[in-house]
Amino acid sequence: MSEKPEQDPRQPKKPYRKPELKQVPLRPEEAVLGFCKNKNTKGPGVGSCRRPVACYRQGS
Amino acid sequence: MTVEFSKENGLTSDRTVIKIADIDFSITSADPDLKIHIQETSKDFVTYGANSEITMEARWGDISTMELKGQKLFESDAVWQLFQKNGFYLFSFTSRALGPVPYKVAQIQKDLTRGEVFLHRPYFNQDVLIYPLAFPLDELLCIHYLALGRGAEIHACGVIDSLGKGHMFVGQSGEGKTTMGRLWQNEPACTVLSDDRIILRRTGKELWMYGTPWHGEAGLASSARAPLTQIYFLQSNKKNEIVQLDTTEAMARLISCSFLPFYNPEAMEFTLGFFEEVTGAVPCYELKFFPDKKVIEFIKNLKN
Repeated sequence: MSEKPEQDPRQPKKPYRKPELKQVPLRPEEAVLGFCKNKNTKGPGVGSCRRPVACYRQGS
Repeated sequence: MTVEFSKENGLTSDRTVIKIADIDFSITSADPDLKIHIQETSKDFVTYGANSEITMEARWGDISTMELKGQKLFESDAVWQLFQKNGFYLFSFTSRALGPVPYKVAQIQKDLTRGEVFLHRPYFNQDVLIYPLAFPLDELLCIHYLALGRGAEIHACGVIDSLGKGHMFVGQSGEGKTTMGRLWQNEPACTVLSDDRIILRRTGKELWMYGTPWHGEAGLASSARAPLTQIYFLQSNKKNEIVQLDTTEAMARLISCSFLPFYNPEAMEFTLGFFEEVTGAVPCYELKFFPDKKVIEFIKNLKN
Protein backbone atom coordinates (compact mmCIF):
# COMPACT_ATOMS: atom_id res chain seq x y z
CA MET A 1 0.00 0.00 0.00
CA SER A 2 1.37 3.39 -0.91
CA GLU A 3 0.53 6.50 1.01
CA LYS A 4 0.28 9.92 -0.53
CA PRO A 5 2.94 12.14 1.03
CA GLU A 6 1.51 14.86 3.21
CA GLN A 7 1.99 18.36 1.90
CA ASP A 8 4.16 20.63 4.03
CA PRO A 9 1.69 23.26 5.36
CA ARG A 10 4.47 25.86 5.37
CA GLN A 11 4.85 25.57 1.59
CA PRO A 12 2.33 27.61 -0.38
CA LYS A 13 0.35 25.58 -2.86
CA LYS A 14 1.51 26.04 -6.42
CA PRO A 15 -1.04 27.94 -8.51
CA TYR A 16 -2.86 25.82 -11.05
CA ARG A 17 -1.60 26.14 -14.59
CA LYS A 18 -3.78 24.94 -17.37
CA PRO A 19 -1.95 22.36 -19.43
CA GLU A 20 -0.85 23.67 -22.78
CA LEU A 21 0.58 21.96 -25.79
CA LYS A 22 3.74 23.38 -27.31
CA GLN A 23 5.35 22.06 -30.43
CA VAL A 24 9.12 21.90 -30.67
CA PRO A 25 10.46 21.60 -34.19
CA LEU A 26 12.68 18.61 -34.84
CA ARG A 27 14.72 18.25 -37.99
CA PRO A 28 15.27 14.53 -38.35
CA GLU A 29 17.92 14.89 -41.07
CA GLU A 30 20.01 17.00 -38.69
CA ALA A 31 19.32 14.94 -35.59
CA VAL A 32 20.67 11.76 -37.20
CA LEU A 33 23.74 13.38 -38.77
CA GLY A 34 22.09 12.82 -42.08
CA PHE A 35 23.79 15.32 -44.31
CA CYS A 36 26.89 17.36 -44.83
CA LYS A 37 26.34 20.82 -46.20
CA ASN A 38 29.89 22.04 -46.02
CA LYS A 39 30.59 23.45 -49.45
CA ASN A 40 34.34 23.29 -48.95
CA THR A 41 34.79 19.58 -48.39
CA LYS A 42 34.15 16.56 -50.48
CA GLY A 43 32.28 13.84 -48.72
CA PRO A 44 29.90 10.97 -49.07
CA GLY A 45 27.01 12.96 -47.69
CA VAL A 46 26.88 15.54 -50.47
CA GLY A 47 25.57 15.04 -53.95
CA SER A 48 28.71 16.14 -55.73
CA CYS A 49 30.89 13.80 -53.71
CA ARG A 50 32.98 11.36 -55.70
CA ARG A 51 35.59 10.20 -53.23
CA PRO A 52 35.01 9.40 -49.57
CA VAL A 53 38.02 11.23 -48.32
CA ALA A 54 37.41 14.43 -46.49
CA CYS A 55 33.97 14.76 -45.04
CA TYR A 56 34.82 16.14 -41.64
CA ARG A 57 31.73 17.89 -40.56
CA GLN A 58 28.13 18.73 -40.95
CA GLY A 59 27.00 22.26 -41.65
CA SER A 60 25.91 24.66 -38.94
CA MET B 1 55.50 5.95 -35.97
CA THR B 2 55.77 8.64 -38.60
CA VAL B 3 54.20 12.00 -38.08
CA GLU B 4 54.21 14.74 -40.66
CA PHE B 5 52.44 18.02 -40.42
CA SER B 6 51.90 20.82 -42.84
CA LYS B 7 49.36 23.60 -42.86
CA GLU B 8 48.20 22.47 -46.27
CA ASN B 9 47.89 18.79 -45.59
CA GLY B 10 47.25 18.56 -41.85
CA LEU B 11 48.65 15.73 -39.76
CA THR B 12 49.48 12.32 -41.21
CA SER B 13 50.60 9.30 -39.17
CA ASP B 14 50.22 5.57 -38.46
CA ARG B 15 48.61 6.20 -35.10
CA THR B 16 46.83 9.27 -33.86
CA VAL B 17 45.13 10.05 -30.61
CA ILE B 18 42.44 12.70 -30.47
CA LYS B 19 41.05 14.03 -27.23
CA ILE B 20 37.48 15.29 -27.42
CA ALA B 21 35.67 16.28 -24.22
CA ASP B 22 38.31 14.52 -22.13
CA ILE B 23 37.78 11.28 -24.08
CA ASP B 24 40.84 9.90 -25.85
CA PHE B 25 40.17 8.23 -29.21
CA SER B 26 43.09 6.39 -30.75
CA ILE B 27 43.11 5.53 -34.43
CA THR B 28 45.71 3.10 -35.69
CA SER B 29 46.40 2.00 -39.22
CA ALA B 30 46.74 -1.76 -39.75
CA ASP B 31 48.04 -1.30 -43.30
CA PRO B 32 51.35 0.33 -44.21
CA ASP B 33 49.85 2.26 -47.10
CA LEU B 34 46.96 3.58 -45.07
CA LYS B 35 48.11 6.77 -43.38
CA ILE B 36 45.81 8.40 -40.88
CA HIS B 37 45.22 11.99 -41.83
CA ILE B 38 43.92 14.62 -39.45
CA GLN B 39 42.56 17.84 -40.88
CA GLU B 40 44.38 21.04 -39.95
CA THR B 41 41.36 22.42 -38.10
CA SER B 42 41.39 19.37 -35.79
CA LYS B 43 45.04 19.63 -34.77
CA ASP B 44 44.11 21.33 -31.49
CA PHE B 45 42.56 18.00 -30.47
CA VAL B 46 45.53 15.79 -31.24
CA THR B 47 47.25 14.39 -28.17
CA TYR B 48 49.94 11.79 -27.59
CA GLY B 49 48.58 9.65 -24.76
CA ALA B 50 49.42 5.94 -24.74
CA ASN B 51 46.10 4.89 -23.23
CA SER B 52 42.79 5.60 -24.88
CA GLU B 53 39.22 5.06 -23.83
CA ILE B 54 38.26 4.28 -27.43
CA THR B 55 40.63 2.33 -29.65
CA MET B 56 39.92 2.02 -33.35
CA GLU B 57 41.98 0.18 -35.94
CA ALA B 58 41.59 1.04 -39.61
CA ARG B 59 42.38 -1.25 -42.51
CA TRP B 60 41.63 -1.71 -46.15
CA GLY B 61 39.10 -4.35 -47.05
CA ASP B 62 36.84 -5.70 -49.74
CA ILE B 63 33.50 -4.92 -48.19
CA SER B 64 31.64 -6.58 -51.08
CA THR B 65 32.70 -9.95 -49.63
CA MET B 66 31.81 -9.14 -46.03
CA GLU B 67 28.75 -10.61 -44.38
CA LEU B 68 26.94 -7.54 -43.09
CA LYS B 69 23.56 -9.00 -42.31
CA GLY B 70 22.44 -8.54 -38.76
CA GLN B 71 19.58 -6.96 -36.92
CA LYS B 72 19.05 -3.48 -38.26
CA LEU B 73 18.78 -1.02 -35.39
CA PHE B 74 18.58 2.23 -37.32
CA GLU B 75 18.32 3.59 -40.84
CA SER B 76 19.41 7.22 -41.08
CA ASP B 77 17.98 7.63 -44.60
CA ALA B 78 21.33 9.18 -45.39
CA VAL B 79 24.79 7.63 -45.56
CA TRP B 80 24.71 5.38 -42.51
CA GLN B 81 22.86 2.41 -41.10
CA LEU B 82 23.34 0.66 -37.78
CA PHE B 83 23.13 -3.09 -37.26
CA GLN B 84 23.90 -5.35 -34.36
CA LYS B 85 25.51 -8.71 -34.89
CA ASN B 86 27.21 -11.17 -32.53
CA GLY B 87 27.30 -8.61 -29.73
CA PHE B 88 28.85 -5.89 -31.90
CA TYR B 89 27.54 -2.73 -33.46
CA LEU B 90 28.03 -2.51 -37.21
CA PHE B 91 27.93 0.97 -38.70
CA SER B 92 27.68 0.80 -42.47
CA PHE B 93 28.28 3.82 -44.72
CA THR B 94 27.07 3.90 -48.30
CA SER B 95 27.16 6.67 -50.87
CA ARG B 96 25.08 6.59 -54.02
CA ALA B 97 27.86 8.50 -55.75
CA LEU B 98 30.20 5.57 -55.18
CA GLY B 99 28.05 2.50 -55.66
CA PRO B 100 25.98 -0.05 -53.78
CA VAL B 101 28.83 -1.46 -51.71
CA PRO B 102 29.43 0.44 -48.47
CA TYR B 103 32.55 2.58 -48.66
CA LYS B 104 33.18 1.98 -44.97
CA VAL B 105 32.07 -0.38 -42.23
CA ALA B 106 32.88 -0.02 -38.55
CA GLN B 107 32.54 -3.03 -36.25
CA ILE B 108 32.53 -1.87 -32.65
CA GLN B 109 32.06 -3.44 -29.26
CA LYS B 110 28.80 -2.39 -27.67
CA ASP B 111 30.62 -0.57 -24.91
CA LEU B 112 32.20 1.51 -27.71
CA THR B 113 35.72 1.02 -26.38
CA ARG B 114 37.22 -0.96 -29.25
CA GLY B 115 36.53 -1.48 -32.90
CA GLU B 116 37.73 -1.87 -36.45
CA VAL B 117 37.08 0.31 -39.48
CA PHE B 118 37.16 -1.31 -42.91
CA LEU B 119 37.57 0.95 -45.92
CA HIS B 120 36.46 -0.47 -49.26
CA ARG B 121 39.74 -0.45 -51.19
CA PRO B 122 38.36 -0.09 -54.74
CA TYR B 123 36.70 3.21 -53.85
CA PHE B 124 39.87 4.90 -52.65
CA ASN B 125 42.67 6.23 -54.79
CA GLN B 126 46.20 5.39 -53.68
CA ASP B 127 47.18 9.00 -53.22
CA VAL B 128 44.34 10.28 -51.11
CA LEU B 129 44.71 11.14 -47.44
CA ILE B 130 42.29 9.26 -45.24
CA TYR B 131 40.67 10.06 -41.96
CA PRO B 132 39.04 6.69 -41.21
CA LEU B 133 36.58 8.19 -38.72
CA ALA B 134 35.45 10.87 -41.20
CA PHE B 135 31.97 12.29 -40.82
CA PRO B 136 29.79 10.97 -39.47
CA LEU B 137 31.66 8.05 -37.83
CA ASP B 138 33.65 10.09 -35.29
CA GLU B 139 30.51 11.86 -34.14
CA LEU B 140 28.52 8.64 -34.04
CA LEU B 141 31.16 7.04 -31.84
CA CYS B 142 31.15 10.06 -29.60
CA ILE B 143 27.36 10.28 -29.36
CA HIS B 144 27.01 6.60 -28.47
CA TYR B 145 29.86 6.68 -25.97
CA LEU B 146 28.50 9.79 -24.25
CA ALA B 147 25.01 8.30 -24.08
CA LEU B 148 26.32 5.47 -21.87
CA GLY B 149 26.07 7.77 -18.85
CA ARG B 150 28.73 10.29 -19.82
CA GLY B 151 27.07 13.32 -21.45
CA ALA B 152 25.59 14.55 -24.71
CA GLU B 153 26.44 16.40 -27.89
CA ILE B 154 24.44 19.53 -28.64
CA HIS B 155 23.89 21.47 -31.87
CA ALA B 156 25.28 24.65 -30.43
CA CYS B 157 27.91 27.36 -30.44
CA GLY B 158 29.87 27.62 -27.21
CA VAL B 159 31.68 30.66 -25.87
CA ILE B 160 33.89 31.19 -22.82
CA ASP B 161 33.60 34.83 -21.80
CA SER B 162 36.34 36.94 -20.20
CA LEU B 163 35.22 35.82 -16.73
CA GLY B 164 35.58 32.16 -17.65
CA LYS B 165 31.83 31.56 -17.85
CA GLY B 166 30.44 29.17 -20.43
CA HIS B 167 27.60 30.36 -22.67
CA MET B 168 25.93 27.80 -24.90
CA PHE B 169 23.95 29.12 -27.89
CA VAL B 170 21.69 26.34 -29.13
CA GLY B 171 19.93 26.18 -32.47
CA GLN B 172 19.23 24.17 -35.55
CA SER B 173 20.81 25.00 -38.89
CA GLY B 174 20.28 28.61 -39.90
CA GLU B 175 19.36 29.90 -36.45
CA GLY B 176 22.55 31.88 -35.86
CA LYS B 177 25.20 29.67 -34.24
CA THR B 178 27.94 30.57 -36.71
CA THR B 179 26.87 34.23 -36.66
CA MET B 180 27.10 34.22 -32.87
CA GLY B 181 30.51 32.53 -33.00
CA ARG B 182 31.84 35.15 -35.40
CA LEU B 183 30.54 37.98 -33.20
CA TRP B 184 32.46 36.61 -30.19
CA GLN B 185 35.50 35.52 -32.16
CA ASN B 186 37.59 38.63 -31.60
CA GLU B 187 36.27 39.61 -28.18
CA PRO B 188 39.17 40.13 -25.75
CA ALA B 189 39.89 37.16 -23.49
CA CYS B 190 37.00 35.14 -24.95
CA THR B 191 37.20 31.72 -26.61
CA VAL B 192 34.75 30.23 -29.07
CA LEU B 193 34.70 26.47 -28.41
CA SER B 194 32.81 25.63 -31.59
CA ASP B 195 30.32 27.35 -33.85
CA ASP B 196 28.37 24.13 -34.38
CA ARG B 197 28.88 21.30 -31.87
CA ILE B 198 29.26 21.40 -28.10
CA ILE B 199 29.58 18.48 -25.71
CA LEU B 200 28.12 18.65 -22.22
CA ARG B 201 29.46 16.49 -19.40
CA ARG B 202 29.26 16.48 -15.65
CA THR B 203 32.37 16.12 -13.51
CA GLY B 204 31.53 15.90 -9.84
CA LYS B 205 29.03 18.66 -9.19
CA GLU B 206 30.14 20.78 -12.13
CA LEU B 207 28.57 20.81 -15.59
CA TRP B 208 31.13 21.44 -18.30
CA MET B 209 30.81 22.45 -21.90
CA TYR B 210 33.54 21.32 -24.26
CA GLY B 211 34.61 22.40 -27.69
CA THR B 212 34.68 19.87 -30.50
CA PRO B 213 36.51 19.62 -33.84
CA TRP B 214 33.15 19.63 -35.62
CA HIS B 215 32.89 23.27 -36.49
CA GLY B 216 30.45 25.23 -38.59
CA GLU B 217 31.07 27.54 -41.50
CA ALA B 218 33.22 29.88 -39.41
CA GLY B 219 35.67 27.02 -38.78
CA LEU B 220 35.83 27.74 -35.04
CA ALA B 221 37.02 24.74 -33.00
CA SER B 222 38.79 24.67 -29.66
CA SER B 223 39.56 21.79 -27.32
CA ALA B 224 39.04 23.99 -24.25
CA ARG B 225 36.21 23.64 -21.75
CA ALA B 226 34.33 25.86 -19.31
CA PRO B 227 31.70 25.52 -16.62
CA LEU B 228 28.28 25.83 -18.23
CA THR B 229 26.55 28.92 -16.84
CA GLN B 230 23.84 29.81 -19.35
CA ILE B 231 21.92 28.25 -22.21
CA TYR B 232 20.33 30.34 -24.95
CA PHE B 233 18.03 29.03 -27.67
CA LEU B 234 18.68 31.23 -30.68
CA GLN B 235 16.32 33.00 -33.00
CA SER B 236 17.20 35.90 -35.27
CA ASN B 237 15.25 39.11 -34.76
CA LYS B 238 15.27 42.84 -35.49
CA LYS B 239 16.26 43.61 -31.91
CA ASN B 240 17.67 41.81 -28.90
CA GLU B 241 15.06 40.24 -26.63
CA ILE B 242 15.33 37.54 -24.03
CA VAL B 243 12.80 35.37 -22.22
CA GLN B 244 13.66 32.86 -19.51
CA LEU B 245 12.27 29.40 -20.22
CA ASP B 246 10.90 26.94 -17.71
CA THR B 247 12.69 23.63 -17.31
CA THR B 248 10.15 21.66 -19.31
CA GLU B 249 10.32 23.85 -22.38
CA ALA B 250 14.09 24.20 -22.16
CA MET B 251 14.45 20.44 -21.96
CA ALA B 252 12.20 19.85 -24.97
CA ARG B 253 14.15 22.37 -27.00
CA LEU B 254 17.45 20.89 -25.92
CA ILE B 255 16.34 17.44 -27.05
CA SER B 256 15.33 18.84 -30.45
CA CYS B 257 18.85 20.26 -30.91
CA SER B 258 20.85 17.27 -29.74
CA PHE B 259 22.41 14.26 -31.39
CA LEU B 260 21.10 11.19 -29.65
CA PRO B 261 20.80 7.45 -30.24
CA PHE B 262 16.99 7.60 -30.31
CA TYR B 263 16.78 3.84 -30.90
CA ASN B 264 18.51 2.96 -27.62
CA PRO B 265 16.06 3.08 -24.67
CA GLU B 266 18.76 2.96 -21.97
CA ALA B 267 20.71 5.74 -23.63
CA MET B 268 17.58 7.87 -23.94
CA GLU B 269 16.68 7.27 -20.31
CA PHE B 270 20.10 8.51 -19.25
CA THR B 271 19.97 11.49 -21.62
CA LEU B 272 16.53 12.66 -20.50
CA GLY B 273 17.69 12.54 -16.89
CA PHE B 274 20.88 14.37 -17.80
CA PHE B 275 18.98 17.10 -19.67
CA GLU B 276 16.60 17.50 -16.74
CA GLU B 277 19.63 18.02 -14.56
CA VAL B 278 21.22 20.47 -17.01
CA THR B 279 18.13 22.61 -17.54
CA GLY B 280 17.46 22.65 -13.81
CA ALA B 281 21.02 23.69 -12.98
CA VAL B 282 21.55 26.68 -15.26
CA PRO B 283 19.23 29.44 -16.51
CA CYS B 284 17.83 28.74 -19.97
CA TYR B 285 16.62 31.50 -22.25
CA GLU B 286 15.10 32.09 -25.61
CA LEU B 287 17.40 34.70 -27.16
CA LYS B 288 16.01 36.64 -30.09
CA PHE B 289 18.94 38.59 -31.41
CA PHE B 290 19.99 41.06 -34.03
CA PRO B 291 23.31 39.95 -35.48
CA ASP B 292 25.70 42.68 -34.41
CA LYS B 293 28.14 43.19 -31.55
CA LYS B 294 25.48 44.79 -29.34
CA VAL B 295 24.19 41.33 -28.49
CA ILE B 296 27.43 40.63 -26.62
CA GLU B 297 26.90 43.61 -24.31
CA PHE B 298 23.25 42.60 -24.03
CA ILE B 299 24.33 39.17 -22.76
CA LYS B 300 27.02 40.54 -20.47
CA ASN B 301 24.46 42.85 -18.85
CA LEU B 302 22.02 40.05 -18.05
CA LYS B 303 21.35 39.70 -14.35
CA ASN B 304 21.04 36.14 -13.11
